[in-house]
Amino acid sequence: MKKLLVFILLAATALSLFACGKAKAAPNFTVPEGGYDGSEVTVKFYHTMGSNLSDVLDIYIEEFNKLYPNIHIAYEKIGGYDDVRNQISTELSYRTEPNMAYCYPDHVALYNLTGAVATLDNIIDSTIEVTRADGTKEILGLTEEQKNDFIKGYYEEGMQFGDGLMYTMPFSKSTEVLYYDKTFFEANGLTPPTSWDEMEALCGRIKEIDRDSIPLGYDSEANWFITMCEQYKSPYTSATGEHYLFNNDVNKAFVKRFREWYGKGWVTTQKLYGSYTSGLFTSTNGTRCYMCIGSSAGATHQRPAAGDDGSYPFEVGITSIPQVDQSNKKIISQGPSICIFKKENPQEVIASWLFLKYLITSVEFQAEFSMASGYVPVIKSVSENPTYADFISKADGGKYISALSAKVCLEQADYYYTSPAFNGSSTARDQVGALISKCLAETDVADGDAFINKAFTDAIDECEYQGG
Amino acid sequence: MVDNKQQWKAWLYLSPAIILLLVFTVWPIINTVRMAFLDGYKGLEAAGGATFNFGVQNFVKVVSYNRFLSCLGNTALLCVLTVPISTLLALLIAVCLNSIKALQKPLQTIFFLPYVTNTIAIGMVFAAMFNIVGSFIGTENELISNAGIINNIITFFGGSNVNWINAGSSYTANIVVMVVYIVWNALPFKILILLGGLQSVNKQYYEAAKVDGTSRSRTFWRITVPLLSPMIAYVVITGFIGGFKEYSSIVGIFGSTMGPPNLDRRLNTMVGFIYDSLSSNNQGRASAAALILFGIILVVTLLNLYVSKKRVHY
Amino acid sequence: MSENIKVMKQKDISKVTRHAKAGGIAAKVLTYVFLVIMALIVLFPFYWMINSSLKTVDEYRMSTPTFWPQHVMWSNYSEAFRVANLGRLFLNTVIVGVISTVLSLVITVLSAFAFARLQFKGKNVLFAGLLATMMIPGELFTITNYGTVNDLGWMNTYTVLIVPFLVSVFYIYLLRQNFLQIPNELYLAAKVDGTSDIKYLWKVMIPLSLPTIISITILKMMGAWNSYIWPQLVATDDLHKLITNGLRGTAFLDEAGETNYPAQMAAVALVSLPLFLVFVFLRKYIIRGVSRSGIKG
Repeated sequence: MKKLLVFILLAATALSLFACGKAKAAPNFTVPEGGYDGSEVTVKFYHTMGSNLSDVLDIYIEEFNKLYPNIHIAYEKIGGYDDVRNQISTELSYRTEPNMAYCYPDHVALYNLTGAVATLDNIIDSTIEVTRADGTKEILGLTEEQKNDFIKGYYEEGMQFGDGLMYTMPFSKSTEVLYYDKTFFEANGLTPPTSWDEMEALCGRIKEIDRDSIPLGYDSEANWFITMCEQYKSPYTSATGEHYLFNNDVNKAFVKRFREWYGKGWVTTQKLYGSYTSGLFTSTNGTRCYMCIGSSAGATHQRPAAGDDGSYPFEVGITSIPQVDQSNKKIISQGPSICIFKKENPQEVIASWLFLKYLITSVEFQAEFSMASGYVPVIKSVSENPTYADFISKADGGKYISALSAKVCLEQADYYYTSPAFNGSSTARDQVGALISKCLAETDVADGDAFINKAFTDAIDECEYQGG
Repeated sequence: MVDNKQQWKAWLYLSPAIILLLVFTVWPIINTVRMAFLDGYKGLEAAGGATFNFGVQNFVKVVSYNRFLSCLGNTALLCVLTVPISTLLALLIAVCLNSIKALQKPLQTIFFLPYVTNTIAIGMVFAAMFNIVGSFIGTENELISNAGIINNIITFFGGSNVNWINAGSSYTANIVVMVVYIVWNALPFKILILLGGLQSVNKQYYEAAKVDGTSRSRTFWRITVPLLSPMIAYVVITGFIGGFKEYSSIVGIFGSTMGPPNLDRRLNTMVGFIYDSLSSNNQGRASAAALILFGIILVVTLLNLYVSKKRVHY
Repeated sequence: MSENIKVMKQKDISKVTRHAKAGGIAAKVLTYVFLVIMALIVLFPFYWMINSSLKTVDEYRMSTPTFWPQHVMWSNYSEAFRVANLGRLFLNTVIVGVISTVLSLVITVLSAFAFARLQFKGKNVLFAGLLATMMIPGELFTITNYGTVNDLGWMNTYTVLIVPFLVSVFYIYLLRQNFLQIPNELYLAAKVDGTSDIKYLWKVMIPLSLPTIISITILKMMGAWNSYIWPQLVATDDLHKLITNGLRGTAFLDEAGETNYPAQMAAVALVSLPLFLVFVFLRKYIIRGVSRSGIKG
């Protein structure tokens, strides 16, 4: 009992001790006069690159240092994306965060609680001239030409935070594409679907041809839900006001539809299958998928293992995912962006920006990084880079499947969307993903509609609890 | 008798421990209490300069959260199932180990082996063993492309595949897997303690029993268990304390979703709840939940101590 | 009770033992069968880990698992060593493990001695308070401790990996129990002789409690070997990372984000090996250590 008393006593003392101080929201970053003053600055950069990618980065850091010898880049690989987020959110409480980091929009929304992420608008618009070590000059901001070179959907992701300000720059991107077994499709006179209605008909056809197949595998449940919302123009979330808007009839209707597909054995997802559905797609015996919607960066995993003679058992076709409305094409944009943190010394921010700008506007870097990573470049002019153009021209459904995937991604560049980011957007994403798997797999319920209604209400409750 | 020299010597010897504990244990506890009683406290907002009112909102939020009861229920259920099973099994193994001569040492080593492993890493192995990769399991469209070793064994003996941990699996199946894994994990420490106890027990009692012609089970219940009761009490108490902190074993089997893929968080526990709150940056709620958990552990431990006071023979 | 025993011993022992022997063999067999089956169950995951660690990625993903790899891929081990930079991680872990074990032992011995031998005001309250801290979920300490070590400027040093966890209430408790069993008369006699406390500790208490101290050493080393969350947070540069942090994270992810499980399993096996060896060689000390500390309250 004594311990308890001690504890309560400690608690009481603790409470009386802490009254809170006051502070106000921080203003946006303003560019210091003269831009970069050439001083010695170390830029700490958190990323998740494997060694094959950081090797590419090393080369370009060296190149960058020829232009700015006093800007030192110290990068650290921090595990995966979530690790970066957790690391930084802990560090932010003590203001030991890095200067720049790989980020997803919801990470930035979280960091924004402290107001620590620098808005980039003033820098982007800045026309201050900066002199480089080799005597050449560049303007600090982005030229019109440079801005227009970015793939629009990627560039606009940085402004998804509800206040119209620019918080992030795209770094390397991927998206979802539809992989299909081209050999099988040609043999049976099938064509890849462009709409969900066609998809429905096709699943039925394939199931007739091969009883033991699951015609379609969809890797990411969350992407599926969110993309459907975008394609139907049906509310999902909002960065301002009421955040969680996805509990509506349109969304319930498509969930119900996919639930029926699942009930007929037409579709499975990564979670429900228990592994990436590419395993089903690439298998050549037993249960298989003939179509698979997955990350464009994982193209090499969608290719069946080559036989002894080096040939592939079937050819893979890649195309855009099906759409609801051909006049409102929507395809999700994924992959890391980079944000810059505010620091007491504005030179650190400027230096980080100069480095970031160098990476994302450098055609050579973007080309080389894309080829090494399987991600797609964020600027259009990369396609004019001879090495990259050569890479793309080799695109096929076998040996050069990554090139084929990249090619499809570049062709659909006008249709990329990103969803609003706010503190809680990742919860919403998790919840709608869970909603799909829950509604699809629960076959043992008397009243399906009631079950779906309940699942939607629960998901909203969960979002509000987590976010509130 | 307390003399002054002993006084200052004692504090001198204790000072390194006390200083470190004050900094790295007591201060965090105080800070936890502080955060728990600041309404809606979020570390990042605090760092950004936000202020919070004193209140019990965090506790209200936590307790009224619709999944809180399920976290508490899972935690309690796993405790109630695994502590007795693992204790009994450990006791049996320890007694058997103590009674043999040949192979005793290699067997001891084997039984301690799980002790030197990483919970999450071996959890992944267990998950692979119970896994079924497939779809529509249990429906007419069932397609199984990869059944784990456990199901291979079941089908080998003529049973049909059980959906242990995958989409559509039953709560019972999930709990069975967790119990197996937690017991597996808990055995070495308990065997270690109980075997240690057995080896220090006076052999005379057993000889007497032998002479008396007392049956084995009677010897076990009438002599071994009472003699070992302090150790048994110890492993039960620490077992409950550990059991209420169950977390990483579930991550090991189910991953960070803490449940089968179609029903995430179904097996979430109190510590899992705390982690969830931390990762959504709700330090206030996490602290409140931790204090609630502390209260529960305290009550259960006091209860355990009370029972063992009555039952343990010293 | 012992009187009774003596009386019973006088009885016809040989008759009883003959009777017991017949049932004894059956019981022995049963005992062994039970132990061996349990041992197999305990061993199975380890076998599975090693089996998996020797497979190719494709074989690992095969629909019907194979009980022995078709092509034994020893290269998974070298791959694991290379990819996860295990050499440096091992070194760091050993440095942290050894230093923290030594310091922790000093602190534990001194504290246990104070609690077991010295009389001072508030002793029982303090001891109960210490035990109470064991009941608090340690997860919550992390946030505050992060702030503390950051304020102290310890980030990315060995210090931050060692100091915060030097004191373990559990070890103090264990060793105190052990010390209590050493007769107080020895201490009083030593004091009369004018022997200093430290000398007495070194010459008498420590040798008598060696098994417990060895157990603590092993537990502490294992702690360094298995710690994950804290080092992940405070040692972010490659110079100070510890072994488990190398195992998880993304070292074994390929470019598409899929895990190379065989290599990861190989790494897990490699990491478990040193602990396993320590355990095999010091088993008897561990058992003795725990049994001697006699878990009496």
